[in-house]
Amino acid sequence: MSENRRSLPPYRRLPAAYLREHREAGLAMALVCALLVVNAILNPAWIAPGAWGTVIGLGGPLMAASIASMPSILGGRGGIDVSIGPLMGFINVVIVKTLMIDLGVSSPWIIVFAALLIGASVGAVNGALATVVRIQPIIATLGTYLVLNGATLTLLPEPAGSVPTWIKSLSGALSIVPLIAMAALWLAIKRLIAYDWLMAIGSDDRACFTAGVPVSLIRFFSYVLGGLFAGIAALMLTGLIGSADPTIGPTFTLVAISAVALGGVSLAGGRGGFVAAIVGAAAIFLLQSALTYFNVSSFVLRTAYGAILVVSVSLNAMTNRAAGKGLT
Amino acid sequence: LTGVFQLGLTAKRTLGAIALVVGLHIVGSFLIEGYSSAFSIRSMLVLATFAAVASVGQTLVVLLGGIDLSIPFVIGFANVVAAQLTGYHMNFAIVCLIVAALACGIGAFNGALSSSLSIHPLIVTLGVGTTVQGAVLLWTEGLPSGSAPPALTEFVSIGGSVGPLPVPWLIPAFFILATVVVVVLARTPFGRRLYALGSNPTAAPFALIGARSMWTITYALSALFAAIAGILLLGFTGSAYGDVGQPYLFQTVAAVVIGGTTLVGGRGGLIGTIAGAAVLIEINTLLIGLGLAPSAVEATLGMVIILLVSLYGREPHVRTSI
Repeated sequence: MSENRRSLPPYRRLPAAYLREHREAGLAMALVCALLVVNAILNPAWIAPGAWGTVIGLGGPLMAASIASMPSILGGRGGIDVSIGPLMGFINVVIVKTLMIDLGVSSPWIIVFAALLIGASVGAVNGALATVVRIQPIIATLGTYLVLNGATLTLLPEPAGSVPTWIKSLSGALSIVPLIAMAALWLAIKRLIAYDWLMAIGSDDRACFTAGVPVSLIRFFSYVLGGLFAGIAALMLTGLIGSADPTIGPTFTLVAISAVALGGVSLAGGRGGFVAAIVGAAAIFLLQSALTYFNVSSFVLRTAYGAILVVSVSLNAMTNRAAGKGLT
Repeated sequence: LTGVFQLGLTAKRTLGAIALVVGLHIVGSFLIEGYSSAFSIRSMLVLATFAAVASVGQTLVVLLGGIDLSIPFVIGFANVVAAQLTGYHMNFAIVCLIVAALACGIGAFNGALSSSLSIHPLIVTLGVGTTVQGAVLLWTEGLPSGSAPPALTEFVSIGGSVGPLPVPWLIPAFFILATVVVVVLARTPFGRRLYALGSNPTAAPFALIGARSMWTITYALSALFAAIAGILLLGFTGSAYGDVGQPYLFQTVAAVVIGGTTLVGGRGGLIGTIAGAAVLIEINTLLIGLGLAPSAVEATLGMVIILLVSLYGREPHVRTSI
């Protein structure tokens, strides 16, 4: 059935079928729509086409971090990568401090390549720890979390440096480019059998193993992909903060995982995807910007953010349960 | 036969963690002058006890197959609320009761919600924890006041003594608490149910084990232990600090895993976790004693955790679970 559905080009698919595919993200989508309206009313300048680049740039790093957290979670059996945040911080410091300041590199090609390479390599280390050494993923990536954070602070104890204009434009006029690149990569991956295997492993890895699916290999690559996405997230973060900051990266880990869950990605694996991850992150970003506009204290922000996370994840679970009952 | 093998595995991992504590201590004594001095051992014992108290609850929920990320927030909550209420000249025993009751409520909510809607506990506890933290910040406007009563400070003081023993009352009290928990896990219906539900959540309901009530009780206990840790830390630092629990977010998980309890549930125990907490404190003391900068300590700690767990905490391959 899955093959049949996927053989149709997207424009031939019924809207209902498309919605069903992304049902888990439905609640977050509704939340995003409502919050977009709220933000637009509060701050009309915000929706002017000229401001889109900046607005997307503000939310970009969180969206990218959320997408980076998603692949390893899809693989199931406790798959998770808590090192995404520190990895973004590490790449930020390496490209600004080491490459730009110490080595004087300014070529976009080298810097983008370096960011992606570091991201994918750390992802490969995480993947190897989780699938070859077989340490429980949360502990393996907690280990790399500590190593990366320690290395970042050793490399650069204080925020420093500045960045060229092209990288700043990644949080301004060109902020949509990295997100489109990630979407294109994800769409390409969805054409591969590896994607179907990943989703199947997330649902039942034992059945997959007996069916001859290379379970460990696919899980390994889910971490590499997450690391690659974290490289892109780090570029967007660098554009946004315009310097090297060793303290900002780790703050992304838990918010990104919350965003993924809010979007409807099951932390048990096998359910969710790109749309869910990005919609969840957009909801959190829009919530933050709406509350910030009211000029409420960060304490209210924190309380509201936690409460909305719990409420929406609960509603998500209830609607999924109701939908599941309807099917049987 | 499988049961015998699994018991053997848990015992092996617990012994591994205990051997690590001893081994690290010997290494430390050789490398650093004064590592085995009475003061150094006493302070490590006290610090390890704080980590161990916070990890008791994590052990219980992990045995159940869950995880509790609200522990650092509940620690901060208990720390601030206890200080604040003491500042209102309330009797300290009543303060403790109020904090414990509120904490149990938070934990019970975590467990009940996550179990009845089958939402991953990681996200529920994270969301509830963040809300609790925000609420505490709102209440105190970010500036918690109040201080610890002298009796509490004396209870956890590194310089304290119990009769002839040169340790504060905290140590024997924790010894009794840990014994009670170990006995409850091994010898009571609650303990049996916990292990049964953790090892096989599908089969346990057929043995009339109510998943929802077990999750509610266990998460309430987890929050209770976190609250105890928060109150003890108030005695240690003297004044309230909302973020006092933050180091315990990952420390409790690391202590549980180093202690040989697997995150899939049903296998492991408290003794290993206590050894795991001691291992973490010893590594930290050792690295600081060697003169490493805080950032280098963090990086090395990460590598050591990976190394240790890869030595004796490896998971079975999926092929063995068919």
